[in-house]
Amino acid sequence: MNRRIKNIFVIVIAAVTLGLAVATVVAPKKAYSENENRYLEDFPELTFDNVKDASFMKDTENYVSDHFILRDVFMTIKTVYERATGRNRINNIYMCRDGYYIEEYPALVNTDRIEAALKRLAEKCETADIRAVLVPTAVYINSDKLPKTAKNDDQKADIDRLTSDLSKCFETASENGKRSVAFTDVTEALLAAKDSGQLYYKLDHHWTTLGAYTAYKEIAKSFGFEPLGMGQFARKTVSTSFKGSFYSKVNDLSAKPDSIEIFESDRLRLTVDYPDKKLKTDTLYAEEYLSKKDQYSYFLNNQNPLVEIVNGNAGSDRVLAVVKDSYANCLVPFLAEHFSKIIVFDTRFYRESVTEYINANGVTDVLFLYNMYTIDTDTGISGIK
Amino acid sequence: MVFSSLFFYFLYLPLFLALYFLLPKRCRNYVLLAFSLVFYAWGEPVYVLLMLGMTFSDFMLGRLMHRFDKDNGKRRLCLILSVVIDLSCLAFFKYAGFLVGTVSGLTGTKIPFMEIALPIGISFFTFQTMSYTIDLYRREVSVETNYAEYLMYVSMFPQLIAGPIVRYKTVKQELHERVIRTDDVVDGAIRFIYGLLKKVLLANRLGPLFDDAVAAADPSLAFAWLGAVSFTLQLYLDFSAYSDMAIGLGKILGFKFNENFNYPLSAVSVTDFWRRWHISLSSWFRDYVYIPLGGNRCKVPRQIFNLAVVWFLTGLWHGASWNYVLWGVYYGVLLCLEKFVYGKYLEKAPKFIKHLYLCFIVVVGFTVFAIEDFSRLLPYLGSMFTASGGFAGKDILFYLQNYGFVLVVSAVVSLPVYPLLKEKLEKAGQGTQRAAGIAYAVVFGILFIVAASYMVADTYNPFLYFRF
Repeated sequence: MNRRIKNIFVIVIAAVTLGLAVATVVAPKKAYSENENRYLEDFPELTFDNVKDASFMKDTENYVSDHFILRDVFMTIKTVYERATGRNRINNIYMCRDGYYIEEYPALVNTDRIEAALKRLAEKCETADIRAVLVPTAVYINSDKLPKTAKNDDQKADIDRLTSDLSKCFETASENGKRSVAFTDVTEALLAAKDSGQLYYKLDHHWTTLGAYTAYKEIAKSFGFEPLGMGQFARKTVSTSFKGSFYSKVNDLSAKPDSIEIFESDRLRLTVDYPDKKLKTDTLYAEEYLSKKDQYSYFLNNQNPLVEIVNGNAGSDRVLAVVKDSYANCLVPFLAEHFSKIIVFDTRFYRESVTEYINANGVTDVLFLYNMYTIDTDTGISGIK
Repeated sequence: MVFSSLFFYFLYLPLFLALYFLLPKRCRNYVLLAFSLVFYAWGEPVYVLLMLGMTFSDFMLGRLMHRFDKDNGKRRLCLILSVVIDLSCLAFFKYAGFLVGTVSGLTGTKIPFMEIALPIGISFFTFQTMSYTIDLYRREVSVETNYAEYLMYVSMFPQLIAGPIVRYKTVKQELHERVIRTDDVVDGAIRFIYGLLKKVLLANRLGPLFDDAVAAADPSLAFAWLGAVSFTLQLYLDFSAYSDMAIGLGKILGFKFNENFNYPLSAVSVTDFWRRWHISLSSWFRDYVYIPLGGNRCKVPRQIFNLAVVWFLTGLWHGASWNYVLWGVYYGVLLCLEKFVYGKYLEKAPKFIKHLYLCFIVVVGFTVFAIEDFSRLLPYLGSMFTASGGFAGKDILFYLQNYGFVLVVSAVVSLPVYPLLKEKLEKAGQGTQRAAGIAYAVVFGILFIVAASYMVADTYNPFLYFRF
């Protein structure tokens, strides 16, 4: 570079730097980042103690980065650059065929915690039948969409290991009372159905309503019900603009959003009670989330310690308790067809004992349902007691 | 605070430069001092006091030494006091835990000990302040009479936390009176940006590769070597990027710091490597330890002893753990071998063989350097040399795909490709030179934006599973 180019270069860089700095300082601040699903840092309080233990400084740095101007645009630049330089994994998300994002699967590390929770559930429930479902994620079902160079641990092996580790405990629990405790396999059904439609969202870590329906058929059978056929529902698209959690992690503005559909049924006569929200409705869906970023919360109104669903038109008088992660949220509408009452627990927030509730409230059946990713990381597992 | 953080680059630095250049000239040293102290206090507020104490003691001892100008005994006493105080502080804050751990490991007894956080940059500023009293004793510099300026020399934020180790005599003139030329400011800014890009776009990106390799239960031979090579590049780029940024900032402010790296990975022997790697440290040990011990002007056994001392200390300087000592001793042994055994044969070998030899040594050396825990280091070396984890797994494809680009660019930047291009260009016509200059500026400008996006992204942490 000759002198003139050097001077111009430095002036431009300095101007850009100053421009961004000033814009960051003067721009109005947001309190919440929808894309990241978290509250942004407030400007820290300046006190002697805060300075002494350096928390003031740390918080100031966080404040600046949280409120940096054009943050989302910079995220996109980074993603575009990474893809252009050959990366196929960004923030642990693989860029897959047909516009799919799929999260890298690391082998379970908390096997003991998971098995202990399932044992507690099996042993403490006295009379209810239990079905445990370990839902494989897209990394296994859609493995043909992953790039060839992707590295993932074997999710199926983990499912098989948990299943065999617990088989003894489940058998014992089944013998003690006149009830049955067993795993229900949905992996085969999902694999068989994967070419018939989209079972997982492209930009989110959840399964689609079709994925849940596919598993529902197996789960219903394992509870002794005849599953309803596809023709008995009216499929309806409720959103075409869903950009889920993987989208937030990758931040490529050009990604095509997912659609969300529901399987409508005219058979249900519902009363849905959210005691924590002091809300009673007649629907399993929460319309307001469709206009927000977090659209999956449309199903079962986001997160609740306990939801009580009564169907006045169910084919049985059985009562189901569901201990689950968010995968169950779009599955519950199908189960509501068969059970007169369903109690859905979120053991991250439900502080009492789930098993005591089950034993004391005439629950006849229990569904334990987690996907293989959150089962390892979710804190709710420890809340099963 | 680190140079590659959003806060430093976009807020702290512009504010500092604005005050530095807009306030009257006589305020400059105070602005620099104030910003340096805040910079240091940013991560470790309490340790500012330690730095103030150490610099004050050396400053006072320097003045005493000056007062007892004629009395060599007292001058020597001042020097000894200074060195003892400095080294005790360093020993206490950096090595106490290590010593206690080693002693209790050897004797099998548990010694109660409270962990102390390491004061950032203590190894650097201790060596800086020591260079002053030693040089003063040797009458190589004159006494400093203004404590604020002395403190500013030691605490100057451009080189405070990661070097280069600037000696007092190098910058003495500039501490009091410096001329700032526009061309220097521009060159310094470019040097700083170059360092920033190196750090953010290369060094930081390479990091996870080696972490993954170490975390893998039993990496394949190919993966283990790829990890080790990646770490070598990362360490060089990270460290030299800091020096680039320090030298660049210094230039903007009117200081001329010495170069700290000279393409060490292009060296052709261990001796050559250490002339190019962290020059300010190796020359510090040369001038203040090796030569005073007699250097190489004595018999071979004594020379070997001198080398052993220097390399033991060099290793230890890098960290309070035995792997650093091992790393230092490794180089001591190799230097002895080159010096006394096979150096003359090596010289005759073709250049690429020599370079390969050096790269092998450096990569293995940095593997030892990188893994503090011997129970992890030994299996890792096992993977590298005995293929205990097989020769290559499927993983390697993933890492080549995801890190191939940054590895190649890092290698190109680590080797003297740029000086070569520059030389070629200088022979080309004016039109070509101009075009190349513009292309260079445009590419750097784009990369600057990408680097900024990484600086934003590094702090971007979606918290997505809280709400499923």
